[in-house]
Amino acid sequence: MNAKDYYTEHRRLVLGVFSVIFLVAAWELLLTYVFPVNPFFFTKPSLIAEAFKEQVQGAKLWHDLAISSRAFLWGFSFAVIVGIPVGLVMGWRRRVEYALDPFLTAMYASPLVALAPLLIIVFGVGVLGKAALVFLLSVFPFVFNVFAGVKSTDALLINVIRSFGGTEKDLYFKVILPSTMPYLIAGARLAIGRGLVGIIVGEFYAASEGIGFAISQAGDTYRLPDMFVGIIILSVIAVVLTEAMRRLELTVAPWRAGEEVR
Amino acid sequence: MKLKTFYAEHESFILGTGFIVILLALWESVPLWYTLPKGMALFFTTPSKVAAAFQQLLINGEIEKHFYVSAIAFLAGLGLSVVVGLPLGLLMGRSQTLEALLDPYVTSFNASPRIVWLPLMILWFGIGIWSKIVIVFAGAVFPLLINTYAGVKNVNRVLVNVVRSFGANEWQLMKVVVLPNSLPYIIVGLRLAIGRAILGVVVGEFFGSSQGLGYMIASAATNYKVDVVFVGVAIFMTLSVILTLAVKRLESRLASWRPETAKTF
Repeated sequence: MNAKDYYTEHRRLVLGVFSVIFLVAAWELLLTYVFPVNPFFFTKPSLIAEAFKEQVQGAKLWHDLAISSRAFLWGFSFAVIVGIPVGLVMGWRRRVEYALDPFLTAMYASPLVALAPLLIIVFGVGVLGKAALVFLLSVFPFVFNVFAGVKSTDALLINVIRSFGGTEKDLYFKVILPSTMPYLIAGARLAIGRGLVGIIVGEFYAASEGIGFAISQAGDTYRLPDMFVGIIILSVIAVVLTEAMRRLELTVAPWRAGEEVR
Repeated sequence: MKLKTFYAEHESFILGTGFIVILLALWESVPLWYTLPKGMALFFTTPSKVAAAFQQLLINGEIEKHFYVSAIAFLAGLGLSVVVGLPLGLLMGRSQTLEALLDPYVTSFNASPRIVWLPLMILWFGIGIWSKIVIVFAGAVFPLLINTYAGVKNVNRVLVNVVRSFGANEWQLMKVVVLPNSLPYIIVGLRLAIGRAILGVVVGEFFGSSQGLGYMIASAATNYKVDVVFVGVAIFMTLSVILTLAVKRLESRLASWRPETAKTF
């Protein structure tokens, strides 16, 4: 009876956990007993777990992660530094909006990742090329989300600041920036996803270290368990970062969770 | 005076196009006022050179050939994701059990970059068109599925109850209430899916490929044919903008009766 109560209360969680366990078990059992695996093309959870253990204890995985995150952080930081002011000015100055909007919208809508080979060749296979790619992909979510945030600022608050003799600086820092915060976080969430794509593509294309390189190298040498380890680690990082941003969004602005501007 | 009113009326258009024109003109004029160092000159091109390369590639049929391959991968992958994502989204929205069972996968796949699966897809499906179709599918299916699901969840309970009370079965309910009500959401999902699909085509063709616009870009970059790279990028840009605008137009036509809350994921 007690178990039944628990089930009805946590139905979602129980079913979700059950479905994951079932899939992993079915995968393992099928490849062990029904179709004996060709280790060059398929792999199973137990082999992946083994490879995972080995990699976590080794130094290479950590080194690769450090390399990738350095490029990511450089590109992402520049996207923040450039994207927020551009979005602020675009939202506040009508003429700037008119001038920049068509151009930036076109850039945002287009797959800028197509520039990856060129960027890598111009800036090299090191941190700089990848950082440039991350920047290019993640700057637009910041621009457009901050822009939308400024546009949605309560006009009343602006008038209050003005009436009490606030300066342009007060306006930016006391009203516009705070009311833009939830949009900014939503932008960061999108930017993280796009930035990760940048890192991965950059390292697939040309690199000698980094987590993306580790994945593609494992693929080239038919080491499937190692490849899955890389894929899983990257996916977990992506999910954790995205989920953290969603939580932050919920804390900062619970009234507009899950909404997106573009 | 007349000029001034004309400007005031069309200010946003004039400033918008003006900015792009000025940008292109500045880019074009770089060689006039600045001599690039030898190393940099290799990577530099001007809009006129890009246009010339475009014309040449158009005449010798290169673009047509690559475009055709990319278009097939794009359409097949997107079509597959509609065929799978739409029904699955509808079912997930209607059945709580199915929702609970699939939610862990949908959430984690949607939040992680699908492109990391590319090497594995190449291993499994070869370097032909199939690995591209699969990666396009993997990118496009989740926005479609999730938005369809959100649309179903947002359906007016009253309407559902009314149709039920009049003895409709699940299939009729789907046809009369659920599907029409989720249509605006599905369109939003489609717009996001198009973006992801194009990304999949581009990146899929970068690696282990011998045809397609993505391949054209990657191989031109390796040979320092920067103008060809920009031709490819410009084609992708134009296509994305046109497709996005087309779907946006569809969206705003449908938006007139769309509920304001919970737009997209």
